[in-house]
Amino acid sequence: MFPFIVRRSISAVLVMFSISVLTFLIFFATPGVDPAARIAGRSATPQILAQVRHEFGLDRPLPVRYGLMMEHLFFKQDLTSYVNIGYKVVPQIMAAAPVTLSLVFGAAVIWLLVGVAGGVVAAANRGKFIDPLIMFLGIAAISVPAYWLGEVVNLITQSKFHSSLFAWVPPAGYVSPFSNPGEWALHLLFPWLTLAALYAGIYARVLRAELVNALNEDYVRTARAKGLSERRILLRHALRCSLISIVSLFGLDIGALIGGAALLTEVVFNLKGVGYLTYLSLQNLDLPVIMGCVMYGAFFVVLANMVVDILYAFLDPRVRLA
Amino acid sequence: MAWRGAKVLLATLTAASGALVAASASTAASSSDTAFTYQPAHAGGTIKLLASTAGGTLDPQVNYTLQYWQLYQATYDGLVTFRKVSGAHSFDIVPDLATAMPKLTNGGKTYTFTLRKGIKFSNGAAVTVNDVKASLQRLFKVSNPNAGTWYSAIVGSSACLKTPATCTLAGGVVVNAATNSVVINLSAPDPEFLDQLAVPFGAVLPASAPAKDSGTTPIPGTGAYMFSKYDPNSQLTMKRNPYFKVWSAAAQPQGYPTEIDMVFGGTVESEVTAVENGQGNWVFDPIPSDRLSELSTKYATQLHVNPLTAIWYLPMNTNLAPFNNLLAREAVNYAIDKSAAVKLFGGTQLAQPVCTILPPGFPGHVDFCAFQKGMGTSYAGPDLAKAKALVKKSGTAGMSVGLVVTNDSVNMAVGQYVQSVLNSIGYKATLKPLSANIQFNYIQNTKNKVQISLTQWYQDYPAASDFIKVLLSCSGFHPGSDNSINIAGYCNKSIDAKMQSAETMSLTNPAAANTLWGQIDKQLMTTVAPWVPLFTPKQIDFVSSKVGNYQFSRQFYMYVDQLWLK
Amino acid sequence: MAGLAVLLFVVTICLLAPVYAGHIAHVNPFASNLQGTTTVNGKVVSVLQANTQGLGFGVTPIGPTWNISHYFLGADNQGRDVFARLLYGGRTSLFIGTVSALICVLVASVLGVVAGYFGGVIDWILSRIFDILWAFPIYLLAISLSVVLLTSGLNVGPVHVGPGSMALPIIIIAAVFVPYVARPLRGIVLSLREREFIQAAIGSGASDVRILLKEILPNVAPSIIVFFPLMVAFDMLTESALSFLSIGVQPPAASWGTIINDGLGLLYTRPWVALAPGIMIVITAGSLNILGDGARDAFDPKAKLRGSI
Repeated sequence: MFPFIVRRSISAVLVMFSISVLTFLIFFATPGVDPAARIAGRSATPQILAQVRHEFGLDRPLPVRYGLMMEHLFFKQDLTSYVNIGYKVVPQIMAAAPVTLSLVFGAAVIWLLVGVAGGVVAAANRGKFIDPLIMFLGIAAISVPAYWLGEVVNLITQSKFHSSLFAWVPPAGYVSPFSNPGEWALHLLFPWLTLAALYAGIYARVLRAELVNALNEDYVRTARAKGLSERRILLRHALRCSLISIVSLFGLDIGALIGGAALLTEVVFNLKGVGYLTYLSLQNLDLPVIMGCVMYGAFFVVLANMVVDILYAFLDPRVRLA
Repeated sequence: MAWRGAKVLLATLTAASGALVAASASTAASSSDTAFTYQPAHAGGTIKLLASTAGGTLDPQVNYTLQYWQLYQATYDGLVTFRKVSGAHSFDIVPDLATAMPKLTNGGKTYTFTLRKGIKFSNGAAVTVNDVKASLQRLFKVSNPNAGTWYSAIVGSSACLKTPATCTLAGGVVVNAATNSVVINLSAPDPEFLDQLAVPFGAVLPASAPAKDSGTTPIPGTGAYMFSKYDPNSQLTMKRNPYFKVWSAAAQPQGYPTEIDMVFGGTVESEVTAVENGQGNWVFDPIPSDRLSELSTKYATQLHVNPLTAIWYLPMNTNLAPFNNLLAREAVNYAIDKSAAVKLFGGTQLAQPVCTILPPGFPGHVDFCAFQKGMGTSYAGPDLAKAKALVKKSGTAGMSVGLVVTNDSVNMAVGQYVQSVLNSIGYKATLKPLSANIQFNYIQNTKNKVQISLTQWYQDYPAASDFIKVLLSCSGFHPGSDNSINIAGYCNKSIDAKMQSAETMSLTNPAAANTLWGQIDKQLMTTVAPWVPLFTPKQIDFVSSKVGNYQFSRQFYMYVDQLWLK
Repeated sequence: MAGLAVLLFVVTICLLAPVYAGHIAHVNPFASNLQGTTTVNGKVVSVLQANTQGLGFGVTPIGPTWNISHYFLGADNQGRDVFARLLYGGRTSLFIGTVSALICVLVASVLGVVAGYFGGVIDWILSRIFDILWAFPIYLLAISLSVVLLTSGLNVGPVHVGPGSMALPIIIIAAVFVPYVARPLRGIVLSLREREFIQAAIGSGASDVRILLKEILPNVAPSIIVFFPLMVAFDMLTESALSFLSIGVQPPAASWGTIINDGLGLLYTRPWVALAPGIMIVITAGSLNILGDGARDAFDPKAKLRGSI
């Protein structure tokens, strides 16, 4: 296990380094994103522009700027935004992280339960009406654009039916669980449901397919011949091996979501998480914040995939870890 | 300039053209022409202003956004300011930290002010003449965007522009602590200098304020309110300034709320819903067009509409094909239906087609409309046949044209329409949307070879030069730079000379000067046609039902500090 | 077979878009029509109508007429016929969605299977590539590319890529989702590799290629087929995000994604503009899904043994 973790840590550093270089290069290769002009403000004379450029170190060679940015981000942790002068990046991300974690874990619980249940029910009842119905609902849910779904949920709960059916829905925003756990959950209820809806369908669909596949296996035929109930076969035997795909997908989804992939959901529901920060920084082309969010996200992607690889060994003891 | 970064000023409109469309349901404070009358019974409460994002730095000498200029009027004071009333007189300049309007001597080059005594900053320190001098020096130290243009008129500024860190403005600003006098010497008479002191850039800050952009750290001010906390991801908090006492209600009146918060986050749709539900008091961002019908029916009493001197226009690059050809520019002017563009903005209640550079009601504005169906002075519609003929005659038919716009919904909508029109008159037009943060500088830089773009201009203060000279003179054209606000790239020395004489004339005979500006406007639009002016927008304010005493200044927009909470 | 029928129907009506626009509805779905008029219930109305109630702010496009000969689903904010644009948009979306999903699934299958089977250094390198792809800031890349393409166009070797190029969004979308398909497949292969029949094949001296093609691939194929329709749906949605950032479909061209983007600004007044393309995506992905199930059943030898599902 230890060599595995060491190898994976080196991998993480390598991946984060590659992503940081790519992000940096993409940003500065873009014409028109020169931060100096936007920091200096409209109608600044070329003289003023040059001053601002010098003050922000934007007139130094690229590798030097990259090195300085990484130093400020990781070692000194005092990297500041281009758009909000003096506003530190790392504390912003640290403050945003719990919001995203709250959103993602809550939604993940819901989509796993619904997705796995849906997949199992569909597989157990394959051929009957409920099977294609679940599959259709799943496909419908994943074909919905995230932003649209969020806006429609808001339209229904905050606007059109807010005075009648949904009067209990609180205004959009985040409440810390440490100050008021009840409000925390209430504020997150619809965001959880919205985000979960976008993912549950995939899990149901993939699981059903894997289960049906597994139910064709020899060991299942053996189990049936031994007289085990269909239900027991499904849940105790077939499910275990079918979970490999689900676990893989879950690792990818959770890794991306913690790192800020739920940005549209966060924006629509006014949850100031890492996704929201990413969205703002992209709009403002605020490279320090973009870089911070991208690094944070890359770390969790690698971490999640590492955990998934470990889980493979639990699901199928014969799997050798790379 | 993009919507959120816009500053709006209005000229002295006559009462007839400046009527408000909807009045607040409750009685407003009586507003004489000179100042607000304070009614203590309505004091108290916390006002919650909603904005989807923060407005950048909080430093009043750097921030150039309407979002914060609307707040600075309650937190900072300069030697002079714009009168704090609603209606036509909100454009008067009145003394603020100075005891009276300055004495002008030396052919208009020397301004002598006397600083008021007894005023304190929000940190308890007294305001002294040294603070005034330090604030003017600080403009150069923090690289104020207009240090090289507006404030370069001050004697000693060239040394400050070269080495800002050691800026002294020696000879330019002379103060005397014993007599409390502040003397400012200009290198040439400048009729707009008082306006430039009245805007937030002219705020008097403590001499101890940091010599660099203060970012998210509030600087103490003299206003009725002070910024207590600023987190750009969360909110900006304004509380009452404990050291504030009214010295001139016309310059800095007492405010009503105990606290004013500008809360960031959420989409504009959710902000509108929040104000409908009473969870917020006002929306800063432009109202999305699909909520307008809902608001104008169910929430009509909470909507306020006021005219603005701002303009949406299409600058055409006069140095690049096909628009280096006058006939091509005229063709586009004939082809575009300004009423259609108005529809995309929200209809005739919210915008008005314009054919001139100076918006209607503006000093110097002349009613004429050069390129349209028929020969009237007001806009009657496009003339597509003539446009097509002109395109053919110009020899530019079939050329590729790229239209650069911002990718928000209204700009995209107008952009798609213009693209469609350009295609119909014989060009091969493509639409090039860019994010708001890139587009404005992108279209200014000649290296990007932008042929035509869609942009807006809001004025800094009521002077025709702020439109015509800034946007169409040689001094606004900097090839190869991200800041070259003369986007059309038009530089004509003889018209520049006319602009110069209009400026000089305004010192002695403002009325004649305005007439001359009007002539320059007409000359530019009829003989050069560097732009297609589209329309002048109106400001829509949507306030919650809990709020009363809506007051609108032509300079500062809605007075956030004059709102009552019921 | 129902899946196939529905899919063919969708493809056919989309291919017939020019016929519909030209001969049935008589509209130009790509030209703005802000001052245009149409006839509803015998009355001539403006396509973009100024609101008249209350204070009368705002302008609203006409809603669905439910009359197939014109403005069936109403107009968008440029006064264009939404249904006609929907059909034209289908051609673009079906093309981008299916091609990018195909590329994605094919590349991901190869890479995922190879990574899982060979293990060791190959797996390590490929897994790192998957990590980088998955953590990649695609929206930053899209913003950057949009500006680059706008200014000068991109030169990749001998190929010049302009802003309206479909190849760019197809490649970006395909690449970004490769890890999503590859990692689950890799996981399955990791498990499969240790199974007795594979061990037996290795022991009997079969070459890697033979094992991959004859033993591994047939067992992974059902999973691959399941992913394809899901990827089509995701790709169509990602295309809408990229089009918003100006990569791919350029105005006034339509795709289901761009119509959804247009519809977001009309959500409170004309919800059908955003709803209709969403429904089309669901139908397409759903029918591909059913088709895939059928193909899988036909393909999977063990399913045949068990009898039909």
